[in-house]
Amino acid sequence: MTIKLEKQTIGIFKELKKIKLDSVIASDFSKDLDIDYIVLMSAINDLKKNSLGDFREIEVNQVSLNKEGKSYLDKGLPERQLLNILLSNNNQEISLQDFLKISKFDKKIFYVGINYMKKNKWVAQSKVGEDIKIILIQEEFPKIEIEILLNKFKDNLKLNYKDLLPEEQKIIDTLNKRKLIKRENKIQREIALTDKGKKITLSQIKELQQVSKLSSEMIISGSWKDCNLKPFDISKPGPLMQRGKIHPMINLINEIREIFLSMGFTEIRGPIVESAFFNFDALFQPQDHPARELHDTFYLKNPKTARLPQNKVIQSIKNTHEYGGDSGSIGWRYKWDENIAKKTLLRTHTTATTIRRLAEYYKNNDKKPIKMFSIDRVFRNEKLDKSHLAEFTQIEGIVIDNNVNLSNLIGIITEFYRKMGFEKIITRPGFFPYTEPSMEISVYYDKLGKWLEMGGSGLFRPEVTYPWGIKNPTRVLAWGLGLERLAMLKFQRSDIRDLYINPIKWLREESYR
Amino acid sequence: MPTLELKIERLEKLVGKKLLLKDLEYDLQWISLDLEEINKKEQKIKVEYNPNRPDFSSPEGIARALKGYYELELGLPSFEVTPGKIQMNVDSTVKEIRPYIVCGVVKDIDLDEDEVTTLMNIQEQLHWAVGRDRKKVAIGVHDLDKIVPPFRYLAVKPDSINFLPLQGDGSTMNLNEILKYHEKGIKYAHILENNELYPILLDNKDEVISFPPIINGILTTVSNDTKNLFLEMTGTDLKSVNLALNILSTTLYDMGAKIESVQVIYNKDEKYITPNLEPKKWEISTKYINDYLGLNLSITDMIKCFEKVRMNAKRSSKKDYIDIWVPAFRGDIMHPVDFTEDCAIGYGYFNLPKIIKEGCIGEYHPIQKFSNKIRTIMIGGGYIEVLNFILANVTKQYDYMKRQNKSNEIIQIANPISEEYNTTRTNILPKLMETLLFNRSEEKPIKIFEVGDVIILDPKEDTGAKRELHLSAVTYHEDADYTEIKSTLDFIMNTLGCSNEIDIKVSNNPSYLSGRSGDIYLGKKKIGEIGEINPEVLLNFKLEFPAAALELNLQNFF
Repeated sequence: MTIKLEKQTIGIFKELKKIKLDSVIASDFSKDLDIDYIVLMSAINDLKKNSLGDFREIEVNQVSLNKEGKSYLDKGLPERQLLNILLSNNNQEISLQDFLKISKFDKKIFYVGINYMKKNKWVAQSKVGEDIKIILIQEEFPKIEIEILLNKFKDNLKLNYKDLLPEEQKIIDTLNKRKLIKRENKIQREIALTDKGKKITLSQIKELQQVSKLSSEMIISGSWKDCNLKPFDISKPGPLMQRGKIHPMINLINEIREIFLSMGFTEIRGPIVESAFFNFDALFQPQDHPARELHDTFYLKNPKTARLPQNKVIQSIKNTHEYGGDSGSIGWRYKWDENIAKKTLLRTHTTATTIRRLAEYYKNNDKKPIKMFSIDRVFRNEKLDKSHLAEFTQIEGIVIDNNVNLSNLIGIITEFYRKMGFEKIITRPGFFPYTEPSMEISVYYDKLGKWLEMGGSGLFRPEVTYPWGIKNPTRVLAWGLGLERLAMLKFQRSDIRDLYINPIKWLREESYR
Repeated sequence: MPTLELKIERLEKLVGKKLLLKDLEYDLQWISLDLEEINKKEQKIKVEYNPNRPDFSSPEGIARALKGYYELELGLPSFEVTPGKIQMNVDSTVKEIRPYIVCGVVKDIDLDEDEVTTLMNIQEQLHWAVGRDRKKVAIGVHDLDKIVPPFRYLAVKPDSINFLPLQGDGSTMNLNEILKYHEKGIKYAHILENNELYPILLDNKDEVISFPPIINGILTTVSNDTKNLFLEMTGTDLKSVNLALNILSTTLYDMGAKIESVQVIYNKDEKYITPNLEPKKWEISTKYINDYLGLNLSITDMIKCFEKVRMNAKRSSKKDYIDIWVPAFRGDIMHPVDFTEDCAIGYGYFNLPKIIKEGCIGEYHPIQKFSNKIRTIMIGGGYIEVLNFILANVTKQYDYMKRQNKSNEIIQIANPISEEYNTTRTNILPKLMETLLFNRSEEKPIKIFEVGDVIILDPKEDTGAKRELHLSAVTYHEDADYTEIKSTLDFIMNTLGCSNEIDIKVSNNPSYLSGRSGDIYLGKKKIGEIGEINPEVLLNFKLEFPAAALELNLQNFF
């Protein structure tokens, strides 16, 4: 009688035959042979099918050190540590209070240590009135049993309680009482040969010819039908694939871009190096407004000044600032300075580009409505930290139409945020210097179970639109939000800088949810 | 944004209603206040108010709005001002320095501890919110009984007057000394820069009341025994000094004090009686407001909305118009449009309908569309996308890369927050080198790319600079070489369908190894660089394996 077995199974069968014991623990055996546990168990299954081997599962009680226990592995138990303090200070006796002070121990652990020092008969305690003294009463302090056993746990070892000697078990119990031990029950597999397996000789076993790779020749000749194609472990992870991937932020940007496009918005793009004119003045921000100051805005030394648009527009903006121009406003009532408007800067918001688009609108006299959006970089003179960036991405949506109103703005924002996955939204009164009425937007974030501020919105003030010829009842709706806040939530990052420092590990592993 | 701490108990007293934290959390947002913090234990909250509403800088101001919201009190809050006899004479010398002053008198004050805190705090808040840190408005509060009217506001030579300033070292100082040595003088001296004369406030006995906007005299210090106050606001804008005075005096009025006016005399023809707490009247079209909000409110309903935000409103003589009276503590009404928001607040933002207006066909921006095309090609080539700041560092952009730069040829930030970001990038590759540095202990090969903007000086542009779309890619591992990056370039160009138009010419670019690098041409135009990175450059970025890279200007492709 011959039995056909896979090559790997034969190898393991040979190893099992060498073993003198009745059975062997599978995990230890796989370590000894340096083969994968899964490979070993599949071979055992193979042997089982041929009634040559078998395994059984037994429950074992494993003990290991817990966190506190581990900490004593190097430093020694509290009693040993305290003893060493006494010895190194050459203290034959010391008051209990002083001892506590110099030991810098936690009070609870200190008293545990003192107790065991007494138990080990290393020290005695004397009490005179209120003063308690600790006195050394030995010359030598050899390692005690418990310390010797502790050493067995080195290298994170787990011990089987059952395998220990009775006196060792007792010490383990003591350690357990001292809460230094972790006990867990585990299922262990023991493997063994059956009687048939023990009797059979190696000459009665033949290697099963198995093919692991399908070849072109086998396909053409049809011989694949006759050979034994080796089955694969189909759930085993494949080798790690390191290929190209889109940056998570770009994925998010593309998702938001698709939302805008699906709602009929067209993307616009404008200069990053911008004039104060388009960044501030055209938005009716007075020239002494705090946001224009150096600590909020990056101004440029080179190029230093920008050319302003045609005179008519300049005059109109100047008038609007000074007394309201033709907008119906009382204006800011100060002297507007063209030179301040000519300063160059890194734009602090994409609204500067929106205004440029309004300027074009005025020139081209487009057909209404116009819907536009941008998702683009803006700059603020901020120190970088966990929650601040000097450069970030702003998302902005704009609608220009006849008779568009606040209710339309709420309608469109609600739809926009719904498409982003926020079903619940609150729009409440807010303030922005260039919109009126203005709204703050909060959305309910299910995953955190709370409301989050997620942008601002409003209708552009007449003082902003009139200089470009956009006059009531044509109005401009606008809303905007920061991309990074959203990204931090989505990618569960707690440091905003992570989004722009490219940890390759994160980029390789972040999923496309 | 400015914030204010409020005790619930005090707010309840002012509003006249039991206020639960839970309700406040919901209610405050509808009158445009943001609840920042809740301290349940001490029953305190911290609210953030918008800079256009400095009247929210005291619990009294917030209580007025809440009373309207809860419909406990509607319409204009009433304030009484008794005409006073005290005069403030304004000398023409202040005209070019700090032209405006307005004043008020507060009689029979009896403040508890909380109210004293409010009085201190509101000055600080107003200095910021209205006064632009004292530049536009500076506030002085004095013990009236220590000084003798009439008062004078004039400008004097810095060394012509000595007095004992508040918070000084106990010695008299002249105005120059105060600006040089006094803590507040040092802090605010910049406001008076380049003036030969400095503003001063004197009483009838030539005692110094204050040296605005720097410091008060010690003479008028307000103490527990103070019964009557003299308020003065100096500044550069008449509307703003009036607003600060109105907010402060209405708050004191709500604390139970009596307000008396002061005659501020600029000259025979220009005389103001302040504080002037008369409401300002506007005539507004109801259609205009309805159109803006998308509502169809009747005149009666609209009047109710304004009353809830503490304005008075009445049917106007003009058809479909209403007359609106705005309280004197409101400084944010510049245009009829400003009434739309107040009407919406009165109506309740939560009641506004959501109406979608359709129309329009959306279009991609060609640059974004093309950028995504490039991304698809690059990830197909096995490169991981990275994203860096456009802000950059001159040393890393040029010196580390062994590239020449002249300071007049690069963007220079005048006020960089740190030297790490003192320019904007002209190339993406140095950023990729930094990315490699950050990841150098990660598993290799590391193949990364970025497609994004660089900023190039260009005098033809109105702002003197333009954005250009670049692609850069780098491969970093033991066997990285020219062949690998060249096959990447070939793959890109084949996929873009322009491999026939591409030409590589030998270059002497110091960022790369000579003999293993070149300039990339599209037709006759240089559009990029390719090669093995110069080992000296690698070491500048603390990299120890070979790297091969390319950088392409994509402006010519779409």
